[in-house]
Amino acid sequence: MTGPADIIFYLLAAMTVGAAILVAILPNIVYSAIALLFSFAGVAGLYVYLSADFLAATQVLIYVGGILILILFAVFLSNRISDVKISNPSRFHWQAAFICLGLFGILSYTAVSTAFPVKAVLSYQPTTSEIGELLMTRYLLPFEVASVLLLAALIGAAMLSRPDGGRGRPAEMEEPKR
Amino acid sequence: MPLGNLASLSHFLPELAVTATILLLVVAHVVGGNRQSAVPAILSLAGVGAALLLTALQASVPAKSLFEGMVALDGFAVFFKALTALATIVVVFLSMESEELAGRSQAEYYIFLLSVLLGMFLLSASTDIVMLYLSLELVSIPSYLLAGYLKGGGRSTEAATKYVVFGATASGVMIYGFSLLYGMTGSTHLGEIGRALAQGEATTPMFLAAVMVAVGFGYKIAAVPFHMWSPDVYEGAPTPITAFLSVGPKAAGFAVLVRFFYTVFATPDAASGAWVLSPGVDWTALFAVLSAVTMSVGNLIAVKQDNVKRLLAYSSIAHAGYMLMGFVLLSPAGIKAILFYLVVYLFMNLGAFYVVILVANRTRSEEIADYSGLGSRAPFAAVSLAIFLFALTGIPPFSGFIGKVYLFAEVINKGVYWLAVVAALNSVVSLYYYARIIKVMFLEDPKDKSEIAVPAFPRAVLCLLAIPTLVLGVYWEPVIRMAENSVKMIAF
Repeated sequence: MTGPADIIFYLLAAMTVGAAILVAILPNIVYSAIALLFSFAGVAGLYVYLSADFLAATQVLIYVGGILILILFAVFLSNRISDVKISNPSRFHWQAAFICLGLFGILSYTAVSTAFPVKAVLSYQPTTSEIGELLMTRYLLPFEVASVLLLAALIGAAMLSRPDGGRGRPAEMEEPKR
Repeated sequence: MPLGNLASLSHFLPELAVTATILLLVVAHVVGGNRQSAVPAILSLAGVGAALLLTALQASVPAKSLFEGMVALDGFAVFFKALTALATIVVVFLSMESEELAGRSQAEYYIFLLSVLLGMFLLSASTDIVMLYLSLELVSIPSYLLAGYLKGGGRSTEAATKYVVFGATASGVMIYGFSLLYGMTGSTHLGEIGRALAQGEATTPMFLAAVMVAVGFGYKIAAVPFHMWSPDVYEGAPTPITAFLSVGPKAAGFAVLVRFFYTVFATPDAASGAWVLSPGVDWTALFAVLSAVTMSVGNLIAVKQDNVKRLLAYSSIAHAGYMLMGFVLLSPAGIKAILFYLVVYLFMNLGAFYVVILVANRTRSEEIADYSGLGSRAPFAAVSLAIFLFALTGIPPFSGFIGKVYLFAEVINKGVYWLAVVAALNSVVSLYYYARIIKVMFLEDPKDKSEIAVPAFPRAVLCLLAIPTLVLGVYWEPVIRMAENSVKMIAF
């Protein structure tokens, strides 16, 4: 029973995983960042298949649109990005590959062999209003606590990027060391 | 039935007090001129003190589930809230004395400190995976910032970077474990997950989930093999923060570890009052080995250290190992022993770090060699440090001994003799390196004979830490009774 929907699903899954592998092994960190874009987009597609329309849109807006752009900015602002030795110095450690393959084996065996309770029929209904309601009722406390966490993170980011003299001047760029 | 959001607010006053203080600190920061000012420190003291009082008032309230089942208000949570608030108050005192932090922005420092405190409050009370993960991050992220607070210092930056990388990895593994649990049971509530797992049978994913979640919590309590970050972080972070990390988040880590495993992977047995393992996941054997390895690695590496902060870091790994002994026993007495040990550990460990700060303020050094002749240069500080170190070793009549007695007694009671033997051998090893500092302080001639003056205020705080360390060694009845009453966890 392979319909077009299934084929698209497998394509999306392959894109997500393949791009994720590229992120890890590409020599240049800029390429890695671009590969991450495809991985994020693939995850958004998978959310659609799970009938999580709101999450899919958020994934595109926040991860693809926001976080990835930030990563790219950070990469472009750092020095000597095109230098392979700086970009991804920890490529191809066979010990790490060995452990990762072992972990992959265990995890995929578990995922395949377990009889997870699965919803019989997936109905493609909008979920946004339900999520909004849950955020204001059952998950109100985590929602509010997240705001404290974000406040602390925001102040922390300001602290880290401020020079030690501290009057709100932008951090001076360091000269690249040769 | 869990209380609704509005009805829960009146049982949430300590957390609200901490949050309000955080916001007031933001205002104090904006008003400005806080680099030399003591206002943020005093504000934090007032806020945390208020939270501690409000927590004390909750001690007699019957157990409740709050905020639609997100957090619990039970004896266990109240105990840890009081413990972490107390630790934070002491750390504020430590920070006010520390010269490392003088001249740096004060308000931000206390904002992060209190954010961690709020996270610890919620972490020890969480009964839902979503809440649990969020509060764990609320503990972690400001901790990263605090570890890197000495910006520009290479070691501090290294500490923060390592902390972030290890923390993110541990979180990721833990979340994977959570997702397996959710996949098997379809619920994020700890109590519901526990009930669902208790009915089912042993499965591979259950064990895998237990291991993966243990990685996340093991990282927080710095248990071997997830301890790699802690020596570097402890050495590089400002000393008050090192003291804080070794007591506060570690205690909260133990709180969440106990609550999670005792609710999800074990079922309370009404008849005996103890817990029964859920089918298939024999996590007690896993953690018994982990406990033995943790204390041995911590102690053996501590022997070689020449830096006091690094030595105390490894010793705090070893102490996590001792406390894990109580965790594997599935009995209220085991948990009681952990709770009591945490109280004792708070005083002796923070005390030891306080002396390290006072000495470093003058000598700018944390090397053991620079402690030579401290007995004549600063007798008061040296004697206090000796008290704290003897207590950490677990020599009678100091309080650390009583803490260990309770842990050992319960291990032997349950017939886990090999663990008791390992722990006893470890105590002997620890005597060597703690006594080495004492020997250097009292028996070696000082290189520099100038006196290190300890002002009146630090003296008073040192007394406040040393007195419980001594008194709990001879009269521990009230604290152990408090710990006994706090072994009450609820999960609706």
